Amino acid sequence: MSLLAAEIGGFSYHGDDAPALRDVELTLRPGTLTAVLGGSGSGKTTLGKILAGWLRAGAAGSLRGSLALGGERLEFSGGDGDPRIDPAAWSGRVGYVPQDAATMLSTVRHTVAEELAFGLENRGVPRPEMLRRVALTAERTGLGGLLDRNPEWLSGGELRRLAVACAVIGEPEVLILDEPLASLDPAGAQGIVRLVGDLRASGTAVVVLGQAADGLARSAAHWLVLADGTAVAAGKPWDIPEQVLRDAGVLAGDAAGGVRHPAPVDPAAAPVLELRDVGFGYARVGTGPARSRRLMSRPRLWRERADDADILPLLRGLDLAVVPGEIVAVTGPNGAGKSTLLRLANGLLQPRQGDVRVLGDPIAGVPAGLVADTVGLLFQQPRDQLFERTVLREVRFGLRRLTGPDGDPTARAMDALTAVGLAGSAAAHPAELPSSRQRLLALATVLTRRPALLALDEPTVGLDRHGLARLHAAVADAAGRGAGVLLVTHDAAYARAAAHRVLELDGGRLRETWRRPAP
Amino acid sequence: MRLHPLTALTAAACTAVVTTAAGSWPLSLAVAAGAALLAAGAGVAGRVLGSAAVILAPLLLSLLALHGLFFPEGRTVLAQWGPARVTTEGLGFALELATRTTASVLVLLLFSFTVSVPDLLAALAARRIPPQFSFVLASALTLAPGMAARLERIRQAQEARGLVVSGGFLSRLVAARLQAVPLVLALVDDAGVRAQALDARGFGNPGPRTSYRELEDPGGQRVFRACALLIAAAAVAVRLAGGWLATGLLGTGA
Amino acid sequence: MSQQPLTLPATGPRSGEPRGRRRLLLEIAGAVAIAATYVYLVLTQPVELADGPTSASALVALGGFLLGAVLLLVAVLPTLPTSTLVLMPVAIVLNVVLGQLIGTTGLPFYIDAVGTVLVAVLAGPAAGAASGVLGSIIWSFFNPTVLPFAAGAALIGFLAGMAARAGLFRRFYLAPVAGFVTGILAGVVSAPIAAFVYGGTAGLGTGALVSAFRVMGDTLLAAITKQALISDPMDKAIVFTIAALLAYALPRRTTFQFPFVRRFRVLAGKAPAAPDA
Repeated sequence: MSLLAAEIGGFSYHGDDAPALRDVELTLRPGTLTAVLGGSGSGKTTLGKILAGWLRAGAAGSLRGSLALGGERLEFSGGDGDPRIDPAAWSGRVGYVPQDAATMLSTVRHTVAEELAFGLENRGVPRPEMLRRVALTAERTGLGGLLDRNPEWLSGGELRRLAVACAVIGEPEVLILDEPLASLDPAGAQGIVRLVGDLRASGTAVVVLGQAADGLARSAAHWLVLADGTAVAAGKPWDIPEQVLRDAGVLAGDAAGGVRHPAPVDPAAAPVLELRDVGFGYARVGTGPARSRRLMSRPRLWRERADDADILPLLRGLDLAVVPGEIVAVTGPNGAGKSTLLRLANGLLQPRQGDVRVLGDPIAGVPAGLVADTVGLLFQQPRDQLFERTVLREVRFGLRRLTGPDGDPTARAMDALTAVGLAGSAAAHPAELPSSRQRLLALATVLTRRPALLALDEPTVGLDRHGLARLHAAVADAAGRGAGVLLVTHDAAYARAAAHRVLELDGGRLRETWRRPAP
Repeated sequence: MRLHPLTALTAAACTAVVTTAAGSWPLSLAVAAGAALLAAGAGVAGRVLGSAAVILAPLLLSLLALHGLFFPEGRTVLAQWGPARVTTEGLGFALELATRTTASVLVLLLFSFTVSVPDLLAALAARRIPPQFSFVLASALTLAPGMAARLERIRQAQEARGLVVSGGFLSRLVAARLQAVPLVLALVDDAGVRAQALDARGFGNPGPRTSYRELEDPGGQRVFRACALLIAAAAVAVRLAGGWLATGLLGTGA
Repeated sequence: MSQQPLTLPATGPRSGEPRGRRRLLLEIAGAVAIAATYVYLVLTQPVELADGPTSASALVALGGFLLGAVLLLVAVLPTLPTSTLVLMPVAIVLNVVLGQLIGTTGLPFYIDAVGTVLVAVLAGPAAGAASGVLGSIIWSFFNPTVLPFAAGAALIGFLAGMAARAGLFRRFYLAPVAGFVTGILAGVVSAPIAAFVYGGTAGLGTGALVSAFRVMGDTLLAAITKQALISDPMDKAIVFTIAALLAYALPRRTTFQFPFVRRFRVLAGKAPAAPDA
């Protein structure tokens, strides 16, 4: 007996010319685990949201095909006479947890317990029953100790569990998880994997959407592989050839696969970046759970200068030198100051002590916008960095100042776009690219300025296999033409494969943990 | 005993209405002083008075300059420089309006800086106020404090791409636009996903709702609220009747 | 809950006949309350000021405008789909943040309605009006003096939505014109609040203007209305222009998720792809 069966002939968003999804079929049975795998932009999320009633025919786009839930079958022809799904009724039976768990939260409840109860309140569940289900779900998802916490103060792993709990509390027959393990630490990932096991044991059909064939996906009995919005393979995991996964952009192992090892460099060369005895700290912020319950005196829009007494020391007596062509990887626990280190290197932050030199010159007092001519920094969140109407304009932005009046900014921008594989999307709106390509676009905006130092913040996160290959090539090319590369990553295998040296940031200082042996 | 949020709201609103209706500066001053004392008792005096100062200072200065110097209806002239005439009536008018506004602002700020938002939401839900209203209220209050950090992140990301903001007006205008675009886009996109999530969690249900959070509403406070509303209504009725008769039965105070 | 039907009835809940008529009555009542309050205040004000304080007029202004704004809100809120509702907190936050951001450029205006206008452009006049009222209510938690201006804010949101519906945001030069006209109406409607509730305006420049008109012998309401006619249209023209700039910077997929944008072809050059089926 199938719980949910979907036959999607085509689905296109309003305003889009091409369908986001076409010719996909999926059938889910009680207690099974299904993995939907595909690279960035393959249509996984669109499929998950259609199955869960988050994207509804008519409201979100036009759908042709059929959806069958329990005994009821709905046919869609893409016209006005199509049935209109009641999202509350449908989603009560098919739960969905988005990749960005924060968007699942109502933003109007001030404790984890009330957030959990939000869906029950809306359905008019009587209070005693509500209390029972909140307690039960909290226990199942390991949120028991956090019930009185404000959702704003949860860590990434806790937030993901809360989002899953919000979907599970409605006791759905089908649960769809979008990249459930992305950016979770091993303990957090294990909690999710255990929960998936429990749910399956109680008869829930679970679907995992992802771009990596990781442990969770490998334990699925059925795979559906998507590429460019359509199914390229379906069946038992062992029946699907490795080549199909590779072509679809699915990651088989870790991000280190396919990295070109860098050529040796002259350690005595004049460094492109030098940090000497650098000390830095952030101002303590007086935010606590007690305060968050009251209204702020006024939303504080601009941060005030802090006194020295209020500084929380983060980096102390830190030294670092990167020579031309050298690739240095920095690892360390969350909150150790890795991203801060990169911001010090490009002048966005000024050290409280010591000095930072780029190409031998101190950058104290130089606006970050000018330091950017020699230091290119790629951020974790690409969408903060993008602001233009087309991909080409985005890369060309500010290039005129670098190329001079005789240069050709457009040609130079197209070169960078070709390097990251986005030449075909030059006219697209940056915000319409899938997140993996947005990150590559942000990389292109940095590469096109040909910086002497390339600083990358967690560059591998969220990239599919094709994206990783472009990233590896771009890093190797930059080092090959003599740029220094400073990259921050949590992925130790990638760090060792890509870098000359791996440094660990701990206790405010850098410590070398690995050095590439001489060839 | 904790004050029910609606009791606090009713008290604040009725005080403001009665003060406005009375239009008597000694009463206004007394109300303002009372609010300040209560704020001190609740430990929010600094924030209430600070916010009130920021809001009121420009208004009060403007009132003093406007009516103190230019009040064509004034008859008792105290001093005169060219077109500017200081009149008793003008000064009295400025004093009346300044104290009245001060009293109302202090009383309402006292409410908003002492109310617990979760309790207020629970109280609104129990009164069958449309859940849409509570949602917009609470969501805006949740989103607002994070905006500064978000805008700062965007600014940093753009400077790292070579955006130089010089002191010029045009440069700052361009920078403001470039920063606004990712902010608006992210907020609108997040809102789109949030709408899907809310619908999935039954937010669009027309049926009756229940509430997880329970709020005590003692009988004494209900009686108090009813009385406060009656007094406010009576004050308004007397003032309006007085106004229509154009006799000024209550006089101008004092 | 498995007995609950999975689909909604063929016609929307909005078209239910009795509820629709009640809504319309509420909307009319709200608009009438605001208009009647304005007319009453304009007709009675000259007697009032000479005789002393303006308590009765202040109460009428507060009561009438707030009643009208709340009636409109009650009529409109339950009809809005969730996708529009989630935009309102965004509008309110943007009003503040963009106001501050533009403030850093040194423009001598308040620019405090960009979010409201943007939401009106994306989601229509009803959503714009509701955003205006709710924004005033929520902002009054931090600054109670903005609460009485709720009716004016509603008018701005409503007119912005009507302008978008009429296609004025399709041509770039028409947006500031629409803003200018909106500014005239909103300024005139808000003037009695400034005059009778506060007795003046907060600010050096506006205060000087009012003083100048007073010297020429105008009544307080006339002086403040004239001052509003000088500053508000310019301000709203700028606000509409900024909102248009932002609307055009958004990608098509984002703007097209709003039925209002699709149905009335609010933005230029963004015709729907292929007509459905």
